[in-house]
Amino acid sequence: MAFLIAGRIFGLVCLLVIMGAVAYYIRESQGGKVPKVRRIPGIDAIDESIGRAVEMGRPVFCSHGIANLRAATSGPQTLAGLSVLSYVAKQTVSVGADLYVPVRQPEVWPVAADIVETEYKLAGRGDEFDPDKVPFLSNNQFGYSSNYMGMMMREKPGANIMVGAYWAESLQLAETGSRIGAMQITGTANTSQIPFFLVVSDYCLIGEEIYAAGAYLTDDAPLIASLAGQDVGRIIAVILGLLGAITVTFGTNILLDLFGM
Amino acid sequence: MSDVLRRIEIPIALTIIATLLQVIPYYLDIPPLESAANTASNAVLIIVACATFVGVISIIQVHGKRIQRQSEGWYYSLLVIGFTVIMSITGLPIPEVGLSVNNSVYNWLFTNVLTPLGSTMYSILAFFITSAAFRAFRARNVESSIVLVAGTIMVMSNAPLLTNYLPFIADIALWIRSYPNMATFRGVMIGAALGSMALAVRTLMGIERGYLRGGGEE
Repeated sequence: MAFLIAGRIFGLVCLLVIMGAVAYYIRESQGGKVPKVRRIPGIDAIDESIGRAVEMGRPVFCSHGIANLRAATSGPQTLAGLSVLSYVAKQTVSVGADLYVPVRQPEVWPVAADIVETEYKLAGRGDEFDPDKVPFLSNNQFGYSSNYMGMMMREKPGANIMVGAYWAESLQLAETGSRIGAMQITGTANTSQIPFFLVVSDYCLIGEEIYAAGAYLTDDAPLIASLAGQDVGRIIAVILGLLGAITVTFGTNILLDLFGM
Repeated sequence: MSDVLRRIEIPIALTIIATLLQVIPYYLDIPPLESAANTASNAVLIIVACATFVGVISIIQVHGKRIQRQSEGWYYSLLVIGFTVIMSITGLPIPEVGLSVNNSVYNWLFTNVLTPLGSTMYSILAFFITSAAFRAFRARNVESSIVLVAGTIMVMSNAPLLTNYLPFIADIALWIRSYPNMATFRGVMIGAALGSMALAVRTLMGIERGYLRGGGEE
């Protein structure tokens, strides 16, 4: 087994077990066994926020964070944000609400624009898609946030949905949304920004909830089932946490050595 | 041909290949695969560099229309396009004709316009934090009271005048950071890591299609 990299073997085993569990539950769901998933109020509120914006005659803002698709920890958050955007675009097109999607990363911009344009086309209203409403603002963090805040102050959205990776601009954007009276649904897995979102927004998706959003919104059995597979990982994490605490208490670093730490 | 290129299987296959090329070499020492992963990473960098031009095109489209229609605040759009063009040209990597990131105009704009504007935006965060804290730090129930007390202690622990006379505040703050705060953050981080793994499995199996046009509907 010379091709296995020392210090990463146990990590690989854990990864394979968790991925295997997720794949197992997905296969099970194809046989009709779909696990129950708890309600996530923040995701349930997306429809309500869009409806509220329509009633107020205001647009909907939806952004998928400021990260690119390549980074190891923030890339998946952007993917999760794009899944939410896909759903929001579908809903806004169906109820005739204006949707604005401010974009920071030039490489993500064509993906976001394509998602929104396709929803218009699927609804048979492709000519109503306005590319100016999916603008690339700036790849400079604060250039993006100042632009986003300016857009919010001018357009006064009834709903501001922000799911993805955010950093220092999180509070600037959410606080501006709060000032103009937008119903805000936010979510991020960046632990340093979660407190800001919790304080300012109406609903906040915390950590893993943003990854569940895509599956939850589509209500597709295999996607829902994959969420149950995560519980196996959670059990492994708890067991390893307890074992780690016990072994370190007794002065042995066996677990740290296993993980090559 | 164009129908073939628009098939949904193509982006799914590309995603699967790109993901495996990054994951496998991390765990397994297979030189040809590592070399392929490096080549893919370089290709991604080139794609990203090209995407920058796509971003510039979007800026010119959006702001160009505003200038053309003389919409409200059109002169700001003129400034955006003007500075974009100036910085793009002066920053071109052609040192033979005096253009590059060392160009004096580029440097002046970077040092005296871009950096102060960025710093200003970052610093106004303090006001946003204050107004958010004003609304959040109200003892409405047990949970918000805990946030209020913990937040107050954390703020006080960063004031040297207070910690000089009341040193135990720094100890309490350290305890909050090291135990309840750390435990919560680690819980969230482990959950997020598991969530991203499940997302990766769904993406590798081609069933997570939210990032594709229309959620993969054709």
